[in-house]
Amino acid sequence: MTERGDVIYEVRDLSKRYGAVVALDGANLKLHAGEILGLVGDNGAGKSTLVKCLSGAHQPTSGQILLDGVEREWRSPHDAIEAGVETLYQDSGLAPHLSVSANVFLGREEVKSGILGKMGFLAQKSMDQRAHADLDRVGIAVPASGRSVAQLSGGQRQAVAIGRAVAWASRVIILDEPTNHLGARQAGEVLHVMQRAKEQGLGVIFISHTLPHVLQVTDRVVVLRLGRVVKDAPTSEFNVDTLLGTITGLITE
Amino acid sequence: MASTDVKTPDHPVTQVVAPTSRWKTIVGNQQFILLVVWIAMIIGFSLKAPIFFSSGVAGNILLDWAPLVLIALGELIVVISAGIDLSVGATVGFSGVIGAFAMKALTSGGTGTVPTLVVGVLVCVLVGSAVGLINASLINYARLVPFIATLVTLGAASGLSLVLTKGAPIMSGPADAITLVIPWIGPFSKPVIVVVLITGVIWAFLHKARFGRYTYAIGSNAFAARAAGINVKRHITKVYVLSGFLAGLAGFFFYLRLNGGAPTSGLGMELDAIAAVVIGGAALAGGVGRVSGTVLGALILTTVTSGLIIIGVDPQWKRVVVAALIAIAATLQAFRKSEGGAS
Repeated sequence: MTERGDVIYEVRDLSKRYGAVVALDGANLKLHAGEILGLVGDNGAGKSTLVKCLSGAHQPTSGQILLDGVEREWRSPHDAIEAGVETLYQDSGLAPHLSVSANVFLGREEVKSGILGKMGFLAQKSMDQRAHADLDRVGIAVPASGRSVAQLSGGQRQAVAIGRAVAWASRVIILDEPTNHLGARQAGEVLHVMQRAKEQGLGVIFISHTLPHVLQVTDRVVVLRLGRVVKDAPTSEFNVDTLLGTITGLITE
Repeated sequence: MASTDVKTPDHPVTQVVAPTSRWKTIVGNQQFILLVVWIAMIIGFSLKAPIFFSSGVAGNILLDWAPLVLIALGELIVVISAGIDLSVGATVGFSGVIGAFAMKALTSGGTGTVPTLVVGVLVCVLVGSAVGLINASLINYARLVPFIATLVTLGAASGLSLVLTKGAPIMSGPADAITLVIPWIGPFSKPVIVVVLITGVIWAFLHKARFGRYTYAIGSNAFAARAAGINVKRHITKVYVLSGFLAGLAGFFFYLRLNGGAPTSGLGMELDAIAAVVIGGAALAGGVGRVSGTVLGALILTTVTSGLIIIGVDPQWKRVVVAALIAIAATLQAFRKSEGGAS
C-alpha cells in the first residue's frame, strides 16, 4: 500500500439535477494527497457530472465540496484552477491553432515587465522555454514548443494536454478518459505521467472505461451507478471481473 | 494497491511531422503571394496607363484604403474569434451621420475647427463602440449567433441613418476639414498616416499581446479557452466593441473626405471588409488570420478599383475580379487546412 497523505479534496452528499433528471444523487468522495483515485461507472452513471462539479464547470444543486478541509464554491472553472485544481477534459482541451507553449500557458500568460506588461504584451521567449522545461519535468517530450498543436499527432496532443494540467496543478488533477484513442505505448506514457504527479504529492482522479488501466495505476476505486457511489474500496480488492460486476450492478453488497 | 511498475517508455512521444516542401511553404505564405499579386497589379496597370504610376493616384488609393482597412481590421479580429460582423458598413454611415450632427451644432455655435473635429471623432467612435456593445450583448446574453446579431444592428443602424437625415448628407460642419485629406508627406495625408499608425498598434496587440492570444484561442476552441479560465464573454465584448470603434473611426474618415456625414457612406462595405479579410488568408471558421494579410487584401481591393477606372474598364468589373480573388484565396486556405497546419 502506498503511503497516503491528508485528505485534500472531498465531496459530501453532492447532488446535481438537470430539471427533473437527477444526474448525481448524494455522492461522497475523499481524495488524499499522493493518491490516484479511479472513478468508474457505466455511461450515465454520473461520472461526467461529478467531474464537472469538481472542476467548477457546473454548480451542484446541493452538497459540499471541500479543498484542504475548507468548503469551496466554484462559480467557474477559473475559480477551481486558481485554487490548484486542474482538469483534463475528454476531448478538445487544447486550441489547435495555437502553439504548444501558447496552449501550456493559456489563461496564465507571462507578460513582459514594466508598462508593456501592463498592456498585456507577452514574454513569448520565456514562455517557450518554460513550456519546454515544464513538459520535460512531467515526463513529456514534445518536438518544439513553437509548433502549432494542429501539427501534432493525437498522442502528442494528449501528452501536451496532460503535461499542461500536471505542470499547473498544485493540489488536484482530474483526468477524464486521458487514455482514450491512444495506442498502448502512448497510454503507458500517460499512466506514467499520472504516477509522477502522484509522487509529487498531488491528488489524482482518473476517470476511465479501460478497467485494466484503472487497476494498474489507482490506489482506490470509486464506482458510480445511477448517480450514487455504490462502492469505494482499495484497488487491491478488485479484479477486472469484480470491478465490471460492480459497475453493471451484477455484484451488489 | 497501486502497481508501481508502469513501464517507462524509452522514447517519449517524439514522432516529428514530415518537413514541408518548399512549394508548400510558399503556398502557405499567403502574405508573400499577396505582395506579389499586388506588385503585379501595379505593374500591369502602369503599363496599360502610365499615369497610374503617380503620386496622385497613389494618394487616392490610400484614401480609399484607409477607411477600408480600419473596418477590415475590426472584421479580421471578429473573424479570428470565429464570429462575423455584418454591421460595420452600416456603422460607418451611422456614426458619420451622428458625428456630423454634433459638428454641425458646434460649428453653428461658433466653435473652432480643431475642437469641433476632436468632439466629432469622439462622437463617431463612441457611436461605433455603442453599436459594437449592442452586438456583443445580443451575442452574449440574447444568445444570437454573430451573423444574426450583426444583421440586426446592420438594419437598425442603416435605417436610423436614413430616417435621421431623410437621406441627405449632413453638411455645414467645419468648412476647412476637407483640407486634412490633402497629401502631406508624398501621397500620405495626415489621416492616412494616423490609420497606418493604428494598423501598427492593432498588429502589436493581435500578434504580441494577451488580447490577441485570447482572440485566437476563442476562435480556435472556445471550450478550451473557457476551461483555461478565460472569460470568453468579456473578451467577445472587447472584440465587437473594437470592431465598432474602428467602424466609427472609418465613419469620421468619410466625414473628412466628404466634408459631411452621408447616410450612405459605408453602404455594403462589410462585404469589402470580409473580402479583404478572406483574401488576406483568414478563415471564417476562426483561429486563423494576420494583420499583414488583411492590410494587403485591402490594398489589392482598392488598387483594383482605381486601376480598372484608370485603364478605362467599366469599374463594375471590380466585383468580378474580387470574386475571383476570394475564390483563389479560399482555395489556398483549403489546401493549407488539408495539410493539417495553419497559423
